[in-house]
Amino acid sequence: MTATKPRTDQAHREAPSWTSRTRDRVRRTVPEGQWLPDRQPVYVRSWIYVFGVATLAALLVVLATGFVLALEGSQWWHVSSLGHFVNSLHLWSVELFFACMVVHLWGKFFMAAWRGKRALTWITGVVCLLGSIGTAFTGYLSQSNFDSQWISGQAKDGLNAVGVGAFFNVLNPGQMLLWHVVLLPAVVGVLVVAHIVLVRRHGVVPPFDAVPPADATDPTTSGEATR
Amino acid sequence: MTGSSTPFLQHGAAAVGHYVHWGVIQISVANLVIILVMIAVFVLALVVPFPGSRSQTRRDQEDSDDRH
Repeated sequence: MTATKPRTDQAHREAPSWTSRTRDRVRRTVPEGQWLPDRQPVYVRSWIYVFGVATLAALLVVLATGFVLALEGSQWWHVSSLGHFVNSLHLWSVELFFACMVVHLWGKFFMAAWRGKRALTWITGVVCLLGSIGTAFTGYLSQSNFDSQWISGQAKDGLNAVGVGAFFNVLNPGQMLLWHVVLLPAVVGVLVVAHIVLVRRHGVVPPFDAVPPADATDPTTSGEATR
Repeated sequence: MTGSSTPFLQHGAAAVGHYVHWGVIQISVANLVIILVMIAVFVLALVVPFPGSRSQTRRDQEDSDDRH
């Protein structure tokens, strides 16, 4: 009996648990030094590489102001001066979010950012743009004023014309408000996290004439810093 | 037409804005200006040097010269 006990302990130690499997999976997906690197390839020292993180910064302001608006409610953002201010912050951070995202898109398109096994990074970015447009449109419908009423009437005609009007009702303000504050932000949030994980995994795309510091498709060496 | 609705109508009339018509394309001046500014920002991002890039390039060149 005592002879078998050490073998049992050994087997217990070596049995992979779900925590160790998850830890290994995370480590394989993005190696430790690539999550928050303090050095980047020399070609990253360009303004065109700034617009991705600028988009992310604007998104954080959108989420923070949206949280306050949800906390206080529609009457607050219509009648109080602080409500007007936070409502405007929410609007203009969305404007900045989209402007930065589109400039980021132009930069990555002309850089052919899907090179080096980065197709999924590109696709998650594109779907994220589409999801953000849906979130912004449902935001127009959630203003609870005559503007949102008029926009929802126009949207209803357009969506019925393309044949998707049976699946959701843009004239239902309760449904659209829930889409705007729960459903679509969750979708966009998951896509943004996936996009960032993929960027960290494969590294930023190099310009056409640049020599990347290492094979960027190898998660153990991609994003290796030179400067 | 009540007195209370007049300010809203005046606000709505004032908010119509100016539009540019070019064939089938119709766009508000405000949206056109935003698009032109975004294009200008894109071009500037390509041509304006990033802060510190010149001094770093000079240091790289000096390091390279020292090695040779």
